[in-house]
Amino acid sequence: MIRARMAPEALLLAAAIAVPLTLFWDFSWESTINVDRFFGPPHAANYLAVAAAAAAAFRLVAVSTRRGDGGVSLGRARGPLGAWIVLWGALAFVAALLFDRWWQSNYGLAAGIWHPPQIAKALAYFAVVSGAWIALVARQTSTAAAIAAAFAAGAVLAMISVVTTAQSFANRQHSSVFYELGCATYPLVLVAHALAGRLRAPASAAAGAYMALVGAMVWVLPRFAATPQAGPVYNALDHLLAPPFPLLLIVPAAGLDFLLRRSPGRRASSSGWADALECGCAFFGLFALTQWLFSAFLLSPGADQWFFAGGGRDWPFFLRIDPEARTAFWDFMSPGLDLVGGFVAAALAIGSSRAGLWLGGALRGKA
Amino acid sequence: MRSLAALALALFLAATAAAHVGSPNVFFEGRAGVHPLRVVIRPPQTFPGLAQADIRIADADVTAVSVQPAFLDAGSEALPPPSPAERVAGEAELWNATFWLLRRGSYGVEVKLESPRGGGRVAVPLQAAALARPVMPPALGVTLIALGLLLGAFAVWLSAAAARDTGRARFAAIAAALVCCAAVWGGNWRWQQMDRDFANALAKPLPVSSAVRTDDARNFLQLVPTREAPATAAWDTLVTDHGKLMHLFLVREPDFDAFAHLHPVRRDPRNFEGVLPPLPGGTYQLYAEVTHEDGSNETLVSKVNLPPPVGLAAQGDALPGGVMCLSPTAVPANAAEPTALDFDDSWHMGISDAARDKRAPLMGGGRMEFLTADPLVADRDTSLRFGAFGADGAPLLLEPYMGMLGHAVLRRSDGTVFTHLHPAGSISMAAAEMLAKRDGTVSPMPLSAGARPNEVEFPYAFPQPGEYRMWIQVRAKTGVLTGVFDVVVAERG
Repeated sequence: MIRARMAPEALLLAAAIAVPLTLFWDFSWESTINVDRFFGPPHAANYLAVAAAAAAAFRLVAVSTRRGDGGVSLGRARGPLGAWIVLWGALAFVAALLFDRWWQSNYGLAAGIWHPPQIAKALAYFAVVSGAWIALVARQTSTAAAIAAAFAAGAVLAMISVVTTAQSFANRQHSSVFYELGCATYPLVLVAHALAGRLRAPASAAAGAYMALVGAMVWVLPRFAATPQAGPVYNALDHLLAPPFPLLLIVPAAGLDFLLRRSPGRRASSSGWADALECGCAFFGLFALTQWLFSAFLLSPGADQWFFAGGGRDWPFFLRIDPEARTAFWDFMSPGLDLVGGFVAAALAIGSSRAGLWLGGALRGKA
Repeated sequence: MRSLAALALALFLAATAAAHVGSPNVFFEGRAGVHPLRVVIRPPQTFPGLAQADIRIADADVTAVSVQPAFLDAGSEALPPPSPAERVAGEAELWNATFWLLRRGSYGVEVKLESPRGGGRVAVPLQAAALARPVMPPALGVTLIALGLLLGAFAVWLSAAAARDTGRARFAAIAAALVCCAAVWGGNWRWQQMDRDFANALAKPLPVSSAVRTDDARNFLQLVPTREAPATAAWDTLVTDHGKLMHLFLVREPDFDAFAHLHPVRRDPRNFEGVLPPLPGGTYQLYAEVTHEDGSNETLVSKVNLPPPVGLAAQGDALPGGVMCLSPTAVPANAAEPTALDFDDSWHMGISDAARDKRAPLMGGGRMEFLTADPLVADRDTSLRFGAFGADGAPLLLEPYMGMLGHAVLRRSDGTVFTHLHPAGSISMAAAEMLAKRDGTVSPMPLSAGARPNEVEFPYAFPQPGEYRMWIQVRAKTGVLTGVFDVVVAERG
C-alpha cells in the first residue's frame, strides 16, 4: 500500500477520481486491444487508485484517533464515517479481486457478464468512491474543499456512468430502460449533493465535474495509438477507443439546484416526499428532454469529430455492427420511451430523489 | 471494467461443438511451402484466452515463423495481427508462439514461415471450446468465506455506528445484516445460474439416438438426433471428410473386443443409416464424427445393442486367440442406398494377449508392431509409429485408406478420451481443405509415411495418464487390417 505523503484529503480525492477514470481506460483498452492481463496498465492503475484511497482513509482515521476528533469509533480507533466506508470498500475489493481472478481464469467471459465477483468489485468501487465523497463533504471548510467535494460527487456520478455504459450508448438513449436507469441512480447523488454541498450550485458543480472527468477520457484516450491484438477484428482501430460522450447531467442538476436552493428556509426543510416529487419530476423532465435531443445529435454527422467522439464512427473492435445500426437508435434491443416507460422513470426519479434528500440531510448534518 | 467491453462480446458468444472426446489439443503434420513441419496447438479453456503453438521445423534455413488465428465465421479482413514465434531455447527445431483467442469457435490458424527458399504457409483448423466445469480450490473458498464474514461484520458494525446518533443503531445493524444475507443469497443464485449456462455450453459429445433395423438379410444401424439436440447440430450442413459425411466407430463392451469403422449414408437431414457388418451381438459404444460447413466438428455418442448377424454366423465368436480383420472388397464407395457395406468400412474382432506386447496379430497371420521407443507420457508430444508385416515376416506395402496411410482410434479405459487420428494429425481434413480453399494455401495432405513403406506414424500427445487402447488401421493388398494395442501412459513428472 502506498504511503500517503500529501494531505489525506487530496490523496483521497485523487484516488476517488482515478477509480472511474481507470475503469474507463480499462474499457477503452479492452475495446481496442483486448490483450488484458492481471497487471496490464489500466488494471495496475486501478489497483493503485484503490490502494491510494485506502491509504488516505487509513491516514484520516489515524489522524482523527490521535487528535481525538469525533466520528465513528472502532475500539480505540476513531475516524470519519467516509474513511471507514473507504476501508470497507478496499477490503471488499481485495476479496472481489481474488474471486474475480479465479473466475476469469476458469469461466472467462463465456459464462456471461455481471458475474458475482464483478458485482462484488462494483460494490467495492462504489464504497471507495462514495466513502471519499462522504468524507470530503464532511470537510468543506473552504471553497477549495467544497470544490473537492463536488469533484468527489462527480466521481460517484462517473462510477454510475461506468456501470451503466452498456445501456447508455447514444443508440439506446431513446429507450425506456436508459431513462429508468438514469432516473433511478443520478438523482440520488445530485439531490444529496445539492443539499450537502457548500458551493453556490453544488449539484451543477458535481454534474460539471462528472462531465469534465468523463469528457477528459473522451478527449485524451484516442490520442494514444493502439491496435487490436485478438481476432476477429470487425472494426479496425488505430487508437484507443473513446468512451461514450458524457450525459448532459448539468441541465437537470441546474434544475435541482434551482429547486432546492431558491430559499435558505426551504433548503433547511428539504426532506419530504413533496420535495422528492418536485425534484424527481424536474429531473426526469429535464434529463429526458436533454438526452432525447442530444443523443440524436450524437448520432448525426455533426458529432463525427474528436470532441464528441460521436457520429457512430468508433466501436469496440469485436462488435460486428451494420453500418446503418451505427447511427440508428436500437429499438430492437429494448422498447422505446413511451407513456408507461416515462411514468416508471419519473417514479424512479422521485424515489431516488427522496433517498437523495435523506442522504443529503444526513451528510449536511455531519458537514 | 471488463464487463463493459465484454457486453457486446458476450452477446455474440455462441456454443460450438467439439471434435473428439477429452482431447482438446490439435496435432498437425504437413508442409508449409517446401518445409515439412509439425504443429501442436493448445487452445485455452477460457475466452478470451491465450493459445500456445509449438511448431517443429527441421529445416535450418527458416528465419522467421508467425501464427495468425482467423475466426472462421468472420471475413479475412477481420484478422488480428500475426504473433511472431520464438525459437525455444536449447531446441534447434522448435518454435513457440502464443496468441489470443477472443471467443470459442472454429478457427483457422495460419502458420507462416520465412526462408530463402520462399517460405510457406499452411492453415491448421482449430476448434476452441471450454471442456470442463470449474471447481474452486478449497483454500480459496475458505479464504473468501473468511473475508466475506469479516466484511459482513464490518458492514454491520459500521451501519450501527453511523446510526448511533439517531438512536437507531440496532435497526441499522439488523438492516445491514439482512442486506448482507440477501447479497450472499443473490450472489449464490447468480453463480448457480451462470454455472448452469456455462455447463450447458461446454464442448461435449452430442448424444444421438441409435437403433437397429433388421430385414431378411441384413441389420441396419440408424442414427437420428435426440429431441434435446440443439438446432445448430442439424445434419443438413455437413461436408465430407475423407470422402465420407460420417465416420462411425463401434466398440463392444465390456472388453472392447470388437471394433468397427463404418460410414453410414445420410438418408435425410435427420437420419443416417448404414448396413451393419456381421459383428457379434452385444452392447456397443458408438462414436460418430461429422464436420459442418463452417468447419466445426462434432462427435456424436450413443450406446446401441446389436443383435446377432442375420443369416450369418457371428464372426469372431469363435476366434481361439486369433483376430479377424475384415472389409468389403466389391461394393462401390458411398453407395446411394445403404443396401451394402461401404468399400471403406472395416471391422475387427478378437483381442490378442499380445496387445500389450507392442506386437499385434493381423488377419492372415501377419503382425503389426508398435515402433515408438520413447516412453508414453501425458501431455508430451510424440509420434505413434507402427509397422505392418505379412505372415512371412516381410514388410507389407501400405496403400492409402481413405486418402491416408492409416487411421488410429484411441480410447482411454474409462472412456474420458476418445480420438481419431491420422498421419496429418487430429485435424478434420474437411476443415483443412476448406481452409486451404479459402486462404489459397495448399491442402495439408499428409507426409504420413514413416521411414519405410510399411510404416505409418501419427502425431499426438496423450491428454491424460492412464490405460489406453489403440486401434490402428491400414490398408494392404488384402484389405483393411487393424492392429490393437494396449498402452499405459505415465503421468508427466
